Amino acid sequence: MVEFIIPVRCFTCGAVIGDKWEEFSRRVKAGEDPGKVLDELGVKKYCCRRMLLSHVEVIDEILEFSKFKGEIKKEPW
Amino acid sequence: MEIKILELTENKAKFILSDVTPAFANALRRIAISEVPSMAIDDVFVYENTSVLTDEMIAHRLGLIPLKTDLDSYVLPEKCSCKSEMGCNRCRVIGSLNVEAEDGRKTVYSGDLKFEDPEVKPVTDKIPIVKLEAGQRLKLEVHAKLGTGKQHAKWQPVSTCAYKYMPTIEVNKRVCDGCGRCVEACPKKVLNVEKEKVVVVDLLSCTLCMECVKVCPKEPPAIKVKGDDKTFIFTVESTGCLPVKRILVEAAKILKDKGEELSRQIKELG
Ligand SMILES: [Zn+2]
Ligand SMILES: [Zn+2]
Repeated sequence: MVEFIIPVRCFTCGAVIGDKWEEFSRRVKAGEDPGKVLDELGVKKYCCRRMLLSHVEVIDEILEFSKFKGEIKKEPW
Repeated sequence: MEIKILELTENKAKFILSDVTPAFANALRRIAISEVPSMAIDDVFVYENTSVLTDEMIAHRLGLIPLKTDLDSYVLPEKCSCKSEMGCNRCRVIGSLNVEAEDGRKTVYSGDLKFEDPEVKPVTDKIPIVKLEAGQRLKLEVHAKLGTGKQHAKWQPVSTCAYKYMPTIEVNKRVCDGCGRCVEACPKKVLNVEKEKVVVVDLLSCTLCMECVKVCPKEPPAIKVKGDDKTFIFTVESTGCLPVKRILVEAAKILKDKGEELSRQIKELG
């Protein structure tokens, strides 16, 4: 699912999944089996599993374009 | 009515509710979903947001964070005596968040939210709210209030709250020859063959899919599967805002109040 940033909750059941994303993506990038990682994180239902499994963290790319080149000025207030 | 608990932890409960009507079981389920109050962020006042997400998007994400709820010290805003739009200390909690990424990319987490009442806090500190690039800043104030799932799903205290009929599986021992086709067809591995007869090994996992009945070569099928509409297997999962046990007790209380209110109104009719 192409979301800007990992959703806070599962779209289907409403269980919180946002807090599991960082560990999930780190471990999967390190080469672990995604299914096994999900099991260990306690994500049991398939609605919640697809949230993490299919997520693309687009915000990481967007942030590249928002880098401020030059001097950072404080807002006047 | 009888309740047999199969599994009970802080955030998950599984139990068998027997000798009740489907209407009663469903009332309990629906009240747990939509009428038990819990706390969530409702108003967000953004002072500074130079992040890549819009104010609305951040407000929405903040609203979805489940907060530890203290049902005994707070009241629903509409039931509060203050009648004020901004609320008072009994109907809302003020929190704040102020994060600036100084020298590199930084993630803002639910744990960065600080409330004036230390009892009210996000159930987990690790939910990412937004990511900031160097120089970006997020500064806001939030008002968390009690509310119900009826108003908005963010106030729903449960994620899963469902029941199924208790399955009853009958194998006709005289007809069954233990061919094992039903054992193979069952997606939940409920059946097994022992001494050339089919036996039930895991009754509670049965989802009443009837695959075993469909594949049985005997005519009529040697296996019969039915749901008992007086016994229910409940599965309830909390989002963490309240212990599941408390959610179910509150749901039962609300149902009782509704019943009493109905009988009072009927009596008034004469
Ligand atoms: Zn889910
Ligand atoms: Zn008030």
